[in-house]
Order: sequence, then C-alpha cells, then structure tokens
Amino acid sequence: MPIYSFYIFDRHCECIYVKQWLERERERSSFRPQTANSTISSPATLSEKRVSTPIDAPTNARPPHGRLSVQDDAKLVFGVVFSLRNMVRKLSGPDDNFISYRTSSYKLHYYETPTNLKFVMLTDIRMDNLRVALHQIYINLYVEFVTKNPLSPVEHKGGEGVACELFELGLERFVQTIQDV
Amino acid sequence: MVILSILILNKAGGLIYQRHFNEGLNKLSSNDYLVLAGTFHGVHAITSRISPVPGSGGLEVLESDQFRVQCFQTLTGTKLLIFAEPHQPNIDVICRRVYELYADYVMKNPFYQIEMPIRCEQFDRQLVAYIKPKQ
Repeated sequence: MPIYSFYIFDRHCECIYVKQWLERERERSSFRPQTANSTISSPATLSEKRVSTPIDAPTNARPPHGRLSVQDDAKLVFGVVFSLRNMVRKLSGPDDNFISYRTSSYKLHYYETPTNLKFVMLTDIRMDNLRVALHQIYINLYVEFVTKNPLSPVEHKGGEGVACELFELGLERFVQTIQDV
Repeated sequence: MVILSILILNKAGGLIYQRHFNEGLNKLSSNDYLVLAGTFHGVHAITSRISPVPGSGGLEVLESDQFRVQCFQTLTGTKLLIFAEPHQPNIDVICRRVYELYADYVMKNPFYQIEMPIRCEQFDRQLVAYIKPKQ
C-alpha cells in the first residue's frame, strides 16, 4: 500500500521536513500516452525516483499544469491540519486529538508531540491508523538523530538540521517496513 | 445507534441546520457553529486540492479520539455532517436516511427557501424519531 508523502511541521508553523514518494508513480505514468489530465512531471525531475527537498532549495522547473510546488503543498497541508486540529479541540475539549481523515483517494494521518511538533503522513486509503507509526518515527528517528545531534540547532528555521543522513536512512527503512505490512 | 449531532451546510458553506442528539460534544454558541461550518467548508475544498493522487473528492471521514465525523456531499453541493461515536458502524446508512428525510421534508416543502436555514417542523420531528426513537 503506497505511502505518498511525509511532512514535519514545527511549533512556529513552519515546514521543517518534506519527503514525497509519489514521484515514483509519476515516473511509471510517463510511458502511457499523454491525456488531458496528465500529471507527468517535467523532464528535469523524471530522473529522480523521489523528491526529498530542504525547504530553501529553489524549485528547478515550474510544476506541471494543475500541480502545486512542494512548498505550496506543504503550506496547504499545514493549513488543513491546523484548522482541523482547532476544530476538534473546540468540539470536544483540549484533551482530544485529531487522528486522521480520509477522502476518496487518500488518507492523512496526524500526530502531534507535546512540544507542538506535528508529523503528517499521506497514504493510500486502505492503510490502517498510522498514529503509532508516527509516534515511533518521532521517538526512534527524530529524537535520536535530530534532537540528540549536538550539531543541530535548537530551532530548525527553514528546515536546517533535520534532513541529516541517518534520519533519512532510518525513515526510508521504516517506511519500507510499513509499506510491506 | 449513538449520533452526537448533525449539521447541514448549504452550497456556499453556510450553516442551515444544527441539532444535538446526545451528550459527547461541547455545547457551543450558534456563532461558533457558524464559524465551524465555514471552516469545514474551506477545509473540504482544500483537501481535494492537496491530494497526491489526481481527481480526489473532498474530506469524507474525520477521526479523533472522542468522536468521528462523516461528511456526505450531495450532487448539489449540500454537505451533511454526522458526528458520532468513534466506533459507530453503518454511518453511511444513517447519512443516506438523513438525506432522504431532507429531500422529503425540506426540499418538498413549498415554503422552504433553498439555501436558507431550515425551519421545518416535520423534518425535525422525523429526524428525532429516526435518530433518538425513545425520546
């Protein structure tokens, strides 16, 4: 069951980490004839299997018609998540937590740490609740490789200090195990 | 069947009907419900936009620790929000039945103005009889 993307937002409402696996889907679709609703990415990004962008890297090509750039996507995701979280808090008190939502074609899983760090993952609709998985990503990967890294800054402004190699490797491996289940 | 509350939003995202059935959600002021409805309408539109797979509909089910919302969007853009307990089965059936009651007692009411708040006594009565039959 495919996992489409993964975001981390900090308590200053900034996106500090983005990882998208959907490029793989787009790559396979490049062998089919182009239709009016095609989402084939521009040639510059086709060679990469996945996109993992630090936030202040410039986007090299304009996104294809109808698709948003990675930064815009992250902002929209944050807006949705923030509004839904506030709605849930308002309706059932400050102790309640918004867990996930589902649409007809994807599912969004959400986990917030006590330090207001937000982990968001977009997956296929058949995926079960990934709250535990996001919690494990936080404990075993984020805390170990980002927070405990003596060289990383306290506040990850613009995403610096988060995308270190060990964290990325660990995340890839972890996501593989979730996808294979 | 434990339904906590039902909200109906019109095409523009305005709240046209709101009713509590069971305890479980905080009681908010009517202004708060209007704001909530507007927010939900906006979020629903954005969720279809951020979809990684092209051609997604809007948000259908929202889960939290203490409740679950199912949003049924009709072909005309009216949204029926059903708030229920997290493990309530068959909310689809309930959605469809509420939509039937809406079509029968609200839309067929000759004095009802479309997209305006619903003030149809028959609709209220039938809804309560369906959702909370022992009241």
